[in-house]
Amino acid sequence: MLEITNLVKRYGHDEAVLKGLDLKVEGNSVVSIVGASGAGKSTMLRCINRLVEPTSGSIKLNGNELVNLKGAELRRARRKIGMVFQGFNLLDRLTVMENVLAGRLGYVNLYQAISRRYPQADIERAFVLMERVGIAHYANKRADELSGGERQRVGVVRALMQEPEVLLADEPTASLDPRTSEQIMVLLQSLASELSLPVLINIHNVAQAKTYTERIVGLRHGKMIFDGLPADFNKDALDAIYGGIEAPDDAITDTPVEERSHDSA
Amino acid sequence: MTPPDAPSSAPRTWKKPPFIANPLLRYGLIIVAVIYLVWAFGSLPFNWARISEGLPRAARIFSGGFPPNLERYELLITGFKESFQIAILATLMGVLLSIPFAVMAARNIAPMPIYVIGRAVIIVSRSFHPVIVAILFVAAVGFGPLAGILTLTLYSIGFVGKLLAEEIEEINWGQVEAMKAAGAGYVAILFYAVFPQILPRQVGLSMYQLDSNLRASAVVGIVGAGGIGGTLMNAFGRYDYDFAFAILLIIIAVILLSEGVSGWVRKKIW
Repeated sequence: MLEITNLVKRYGHDEAVLKGLDLKVEGNSVVSIVGASGAGKSTMLRCINRLVEPTSGSIKLNGNELVNLKGAELRRARRKIGMVFQGFNLLDRLTVMENVLAGRLGYVNLYQAISRRYPQADIERAFVLMERVGIAHYANKRADELSGGERQRVGVVRALMQEPEVLLADEPTASLDPRTSEQIMVLLQSLASELSLPVLINIHNVAQAKTYTERIVGLRHGKMIFDGLPADFNKDALDAIYGGIEAPDDAITDTPVEERSHDSA
Repeated sequence: MTPPDAPSSAPRTWKKPPFIANPLLRYGLIIVAVIYLVWAFGSLPFNWARISEGLPRAARIFSGGFPPNLERYELLITGFKESFQIAILATLMGVLLSIPFAVMAARNIAPMPIYVIGRAVIIVSRSFHPVIVAILFVAAVGFGPLAGILTLTLYSIGFVGKLLAEEIEEINWGQVEAMKAAGAGYVAILFYAVFPQILPRQVGLSMYQLDSNLRASAVVGIVGAGGIGGTLMNAFGRYDYDFAFAILLIIIAVILLSEGVSGWVRKKIW
């Protein structure tokens, strides 16, 4: 169970990006987080695995507080939090198998990591997961030779190799064509139930959010203004989240402004 | 100023705007440059009598150099062998050592105090020309190839380290984030997310550095750091101009060859 309480994030002395957010995710539910650019979706997700340092508040994963962890403890906690990125963030020059096994870097020692001598069980798990998403035949191909959809599958498998207790997906389909992005959403949805894994997905595509997730959380200006079932996500909710924003096109093509550039190769 | 629809009879002209807009500054700079040039030439002690005396001597040296004489080719081969050894060893050591210093000198992955040390090492190894460094090392470890190797190793660390550090600062940060998110430690992140990204650049730089070290090894030999430069110096010292010219020609040929090979390899990698 993931429990976020009163999460605040402020960059420098600017206005806070997250203003006291509360969120509770249980079981194997798939939750989508929608909101306009700069609403704080990406920041919230990155606070959970501490790629972004929260200013204050509490984030608990299965009872363990994540906010104050440091060094080795933080790395141990991160192992249990899988993350899928918009730009895939694969190790382009390494093979698919190396990318997948990199998900185990939090578990193996440095010698095993550098010499690529991963435990047998990890290799077995890698093959099982790659077969599950249909990329096993690419094991020895370089990651940058794959198509976008295939690359994101590698990203998903890498995250699952961590044996995570929660999966974070930061706009996992925004760099993909509509059809491939549907496939990735279906994959995330079915993996969540197969592995009984809670999944948090930042997403711009409201239609996909309604179709593939069980719960929608709407953010605006760092506050949660909607939390409910996709069926209840009506025109009013949509207007509340995106309304009054000058450039509605941004909702489809945006990259979060608050972070380093995403490379969407 | 003229309304666009106003009929104008005068043909419109255009001239490239001057590089320096202010005419006072523009002509002022030109005048200052000319005055300085005249003054500099006028005040330097050129001894025209000696120069005119020296010209026939230069002609004698050049005519003494022709035809180049390859009779003492064993010396030439020994010299080149040593130069190659110096260049290759210095490149290997320099390139290997440049990696940790580049990591230290990359702002995005090194903490501030480490960054300062890394930058300092690179700046110091870049601040002197190899010849000056060679003079210091010859004084420190004596005549011979060891001084040459140390000189060029330092030279390689400075050059490769600086460019590699800049390359590290420009890597795709997303890969590092992904490894962090997986719980990987610092060194594992270096090996998975950083080094593969800079590898092509590293190989290219190493090839370039080998080429450049070969060239420099001839120069540092002149101040006593071993290699073909020493052989060349000896030949000049004994008025062996025909042999010296043979050495020069071979150096040109070898540099051309190595430049060709390193260029070809770098092109293959990129």
